[in-house]
Amino acid sequence: MYPLLDPHAPPAIVRRDFLKQLAAASAAAWSTGVPQAVRANSAPVVHPPAKAEACILLWMGGGMAAPDTFDPKRYLPFEKGLEVARMLSTFPAIDTVVDGVKICQGLEHLAQVMDRATLLRSAVQPDLGSILHSRHQYHWHTGYVPPQTVACPHLGAWMAKVLGPRNPVMPPFINIGQRLEGVGESEELKAFTTAGFFGAEFGPLNLPFPEEAAVSVRPPPGMDAGRFANRDRLFRQLVDANPDRDRMSDYQRQSLLRSMDNAYRLLSSKEREAFDLTLEPPEVQARYDTGRFGRGCLLARRLVEAGARFVEVTTEYVPFLHWDTHKDGHETVARLHREIDRPIATLVRELEARGLLERTLVIIASEFSRDAMMEGRPGSTANDQATFKVDTLSEMAHYGLHRHFTGGTSVVMFGGGTKRGYVHGRTADERPLLAIQDPVTVMDLHATIMTAMGISPKTEFSVEGRPFYVTEDGKGRPVRELFA
Amino acid sequence: MKFPFPLLLLGLVTPLAAAVDFNHQIVPLLRKHCGECHTGSKLKGGFSLNDRSALLHGSENGPVVAPGNPEKSLLLELVATADRDQRMPPKGDGLSAAEVSLLRQWIAEGLPWEAGFAFQAPAYEPPLKPRAVTLPPAVAGRDHPVDRLVDAYLAKHNLPRPPPASDSTFLRRAHLDLIGLLPTPEEVKAFLQDPSPDKRTRLVHTLLARDPDYAEHWLTFWNDLLRNDYGGTGFITGGRRQISQWLHEALLTNKPFDQFARELIAPAGDESRGFSDGIKWRGEVSAGQTVEIQFAQSLGQSFLGLNLKCASCHDSFVDRWKLDEAYGLAAIYAEKPLEVHRCDKPVGRTAKASWLFPELGNVDPEAPRAERLRQLAALMTHPDNGRFSRTLVNRLWHRLMGRGIVHPLDAMQSEPWSADLLDALANHFQQTGYDVKRTLAHLATSQIYQARSEVLRGDANAPVFPGPRAKRLSAEQFVDAVWTLTGTAPQKMDAPVFRVPPDPAAGSRLALTGQWIWGQPPANAKARPEGDPFLFRTEWKLAAEPVSGAAILTGGESYTLYLNGRKITGSDRGEHVAALPLHDKLKAGSNQVVILAKPGARSPAAGVYFQAEVRLADGTVATLQSDATWQFSPGGNAGREGRLGALPKNVQPVVVVDPLPSRVQGLARQGPALLAQGRGSDGRMVRASLVKSDFLMRSLGRPNRDQIVSMRPDELTTLEALDLANGQTLTRALEQGAAGLAARTWASSGALITYLYTRTLARPPSPGELRAAAELLGPQPTAPAIADLLWALLMQPEFLYVH
Repeated sequence: MYPLLDPHAPPAIVRRDFLKQLAAASAAAWSTGVPQAVRANSAPVVHPPAKAEACILLWMGGGMAAPDTFDPKRYLPFEKGLEVARMLSTFPAIDTVVDGVKICQGLEHLAQVMDRATLLRSAVQPDLGSILHSRHQYHWHTGYVPPQTVACPHLGAWMAKVLGPRNPVMPPFINIGQRLEGVGESEELKAFTTAGFFGAEFGPLNLPFPEEAAVSVRPPPGMDAGRFANRDRLFRQLVDANPDRDRMSDYQRQSLLRSMDNAYRLLSSKEREAFDLTLEPPEVQARYDTGRFGRGCLLARRLVEAGARFVEVTTEYVPFLHWDTHKDGHETVARLHREIDRPIATLVRELEARGLLERTLVIIASEFSRDAMMEGRPGSTANDQATFKVDTLSEMAHYGLHRHFTGGTSVVMFGGGTKRGYVHGRTADERPLLAIQDPVTVMDLHATIMTAMGISPKTEFSVEGRPFYVTEDGKGRPVRELFA
Repeated sequence: MKFPFPLLLLGLVTPLAAAVDFNHQIVPLLRKHCGECHTGSKLKGGFSLNDRSALLHGSENGPVVAPGNPEKSLLLELVATADRDQRMPPKGDGLSAAEVSLLRQWIAEGLPWEAGFAFQAPAYEPPLKPRAVTLPPAVAGRDHPVDRLVDAYLAKHNLPRPPPASDSTFLRRAHLDLIGLLPTPEEVKAFLQDPSPDKRTRLVHTLLARDPDYAEHWLTFWNDLLRNDYGGTGFITGGRRQISQWLHEALLTNKPFDQFARELIAPAGDESRGFSDGIKWRGEVSAGQTVEIQFAQSLGQSFLGLNLKCASCHDSFVDRWKLDEAYGLAAIYAEKPLEVHRCDKPVGRTAKASWLFPELGNVDPEAPRAERLRQLAALMTHPDNGRFSRTLVNRLWHRLMGRGIVHPLDAMQSEPWSADLLDALANHFQQTGYDVKRTLAHLATSQIYQARSEVLRGDANAPVFPGPRAKRLSAEQFVDAVWTLTGTAPQKMDAPVFRVPPDPAAGSRLALTGQWIWGQPPANAKARPEGDPFLFRTEWKLAAEPVSGAAILTGGESYTLYLNGRKITGSDRGEHVAALPLHDKLKAGSNQVVILAKPGARSPAAGVYFQAEVRLADGTVATLQSDATWQFSPGGNAGREGRLGALPKNVQPVVVVDPLPSRVQGLARQGPALLAQGRGSDGRMVRASLVKSDFLMRSLGRPNRDQIVSMRPDELTTLEALDLANGQTLTRALEQGAAGLAARTWASSGALITYLYTRTLARPPSPGELRAAAELLGPQPTAPAIADLLWALLMQPEFLYVH
């Protein structure tokens, strides 16, 4: 049997799209002087018409349990002696404004805006043989499972690179709520919170504390506007007075001055006000302010209004904290409900009231789901990382979904051309709670997100002679049913 | 059905008995339908028909034509199939029936091919072996070999010779390039006033003789190239290992580069394994990223400037490397048989260990692993492996001149802009015994290095060399400069290195106070499985946090040290005396010290020796040594991912033993000098290369060393400029520095300005610069004003680039 005509042949051989745009085998392909050369592909890729100008990713870092949030299953309250094997959800279901669609108790505000939502219940993650959060997070945020031969760009960096900024004064890619120093797995987090081979120009502006965001776009503390302007003027005067000035007129100098100009412009612009939460009326602040995440949602709204392209707001991933429940799951998730419910619902409503929801894609997602018993998915060799390996409950700390589950999780989307009041896919009603209808891989989810933003899932750049695609190997297919 | 060209129609009309006319029938046909993707350097699907042998070789799946047998020729099937998805060529109408007939006939005739015909000239193939270069004659008294070659090059390309750089430009450039530090005002003054004609040459040698400064500057270059860091992915799961201590020491002692490479490829101990071991992620990884394949990729990139990443998954589409060649290297490293995978799917064969350039010899695939790696190391550093030396000298040239002779640096398959220069430098490098410092001196003492850098107006990527090019200050150089200017360097470093080499003189004042300890398993113990290590432990209570210190360790057939449950170091050769810095591994309070040592059949009671000394934050000194107070367990659990397993419950006192005389001598000879390194603190500022990356350094281009980096971005981005404009780290440093400067007495604000210009740019300010700065400072400069002047200076293009 000739392998080339064999329908089961490795896909690389028959992949036409790649064959069409191969880079020339020479230093010319790489010779931009940039360490990881990037060159827009020469053959045209047809970008779909954009349904959204901006994207807000609300990242539930740590593994948000779907049965305790957006995909309620049979509920059993805590009682001593309850068998863990019988536990599915630790919260009862409540009605939403969409007939027949229920979510978990604790998310009452979100229940009132589900008529603007597309609820995807069958998102799935790959089985990587061992659960390391940051590995799945890396995969979710870049579309590629690490390790990789190149530094992969974050979703936000792709959007910044391909679409450019909406407002040239604003940084296109902003990341809110995650500390990148001094927390566990911070090195792994940094590995994907980057523009990778696109270069730092497309990287994130990191704002771990929303209430301090204004500081990042102000002159340094203690420096008033007048002094700031004087300092910048001195800088330019010294550049002009340089005795070798004419000899140094070259592109290195120009690009440096341009970056300095851009930075100065942002730091003295009106757009800076978008970063300042205190400028929002107190009653609005109150609606969002359930904590750092809530404040981050308000900041995201302001930044999108001011022209940011991609904003991520996270509840923050810290090993064993927040959504990453290995014990006390129920109580921790009850707290997280309070933290996310009103702010997200308010964000959706306010975007809608400002006429922005249609053209802003809002996504609630997490790296995987959780289960009371199963680690990974059936057949997985992943290590059980629950703190208490008990068969029956004897204390409240045992009550919750304490194991990582990659077989089916929920993603909620608002706006950006997605359907309203729609549920896509479903998971089983008994353990294992696998996605049993319309599973959507990370690759296809990304294709959907990129399609909404007007970026073809086959978009590629050449790096080190290799075409690198926005969805894994260019194979992502958008899930059309998710769009109106 | 399309009608073929008239020419071909004529050809068709001739009786079938006539032979196919290759030149006039087949060549145009192939060129028209296949040439775009399968001739010249194009290798779509890994297939080329550029010449007859390529055609016969076929694609990754094997031959596509069977001479004499059209029915068994895949090529024919593909051009004729009705399946639109499979048909070749993919675009357009494809071959006509007549053209298909022609091909069929051509194959049936055995693929006659015009002798020597190729569709395109073969792509440039770089030479392997060193090549003797005849130096052109010296011009105008410039008889340095580099100058003779560059002069000839410039003359040949009609390029003007760049004039010499000014003394202050050269001084600053040499300092930053060779040791990464700005010259002090005293150094500036001395150099500018020195009338001797050979001062530039002497400067180069003086700088290169500053071993610690040199080592800590070039640490950045090697950390980037060998993917080494003090933090990063893989550390929390034990999937990554540092080579920091070994590397720093190699730089301090200017280890010859061939030996350096051999120790990385075939490591004798743990200290240099981290490069070849790659980064092991927990769980499953794709076949193209296993540690074995990473080994092939890393080796190829760092030492040979080759990209084997494509060939890790399939025959490369952009160059000559095949999947089996990448796997050949990987199989040398592999501990178990390695199944070849194409695009993450097994192809059903096992990789056979082999070296990329069999002209030099090959690795014996049947040999045990350690031997295979040794053979590979020998082949890599074989005197006839010109690629090895060319790659390194090209990198050094890039460091000093701003652009490689082959550029980008990891595209060593490309043509250099001067093969003579590259080859001559490579030969010189080999002749010095692969001496990196001597090569740097060779380059830096040339006139061309001392010339003014080019003004880059046109195409930055044009493959011509008009002269040196300005280089962006690295993150580490910038931060070192800020620390120097402001006095804000940290007290402690993160790198687990000794900043001074082993010191026999200091060692002679240090006594070995420990005893050799071992364990006596209980008489009724079950027969232990062969190879179970003995476990020795003790607790070390420290009154405060350690600031500096060292430990030495040796013993058993092999040993491993764990501090607070984390694996620190070890050796497969028990007689090896390990020395490790302790400033970063212990805490105030209780510390658990555990040694696992395997008894050998030959030396059953070899004994273990440990001695440590730390200086604490409260100024006191604490010591620990192996003695009778330690405890022993027969059988320790080495744990996984770098963490010690559960401690055995069965504990007894150790036994003090008389060790082998050879061991005692080895310890006496090396131990004290090694241990004395912990005492060494020569008062030098901590360098940025020795601390973990932070926001500011990342902003300035310090990479995440998950991948090998050989060149950093040349341009400052907007986000980086933003961080420089208002980032906390820099702001605080400038405030502190300004306070210090304001507290000093200056004859005038002009004196302060001149001092700052001298410090940052190695020159006095121009009248215009003086005026502008003085205007901001005013007659009584305040700290904020000084901080602002400092900032404005640090942002100058002249500062941020090494001109």
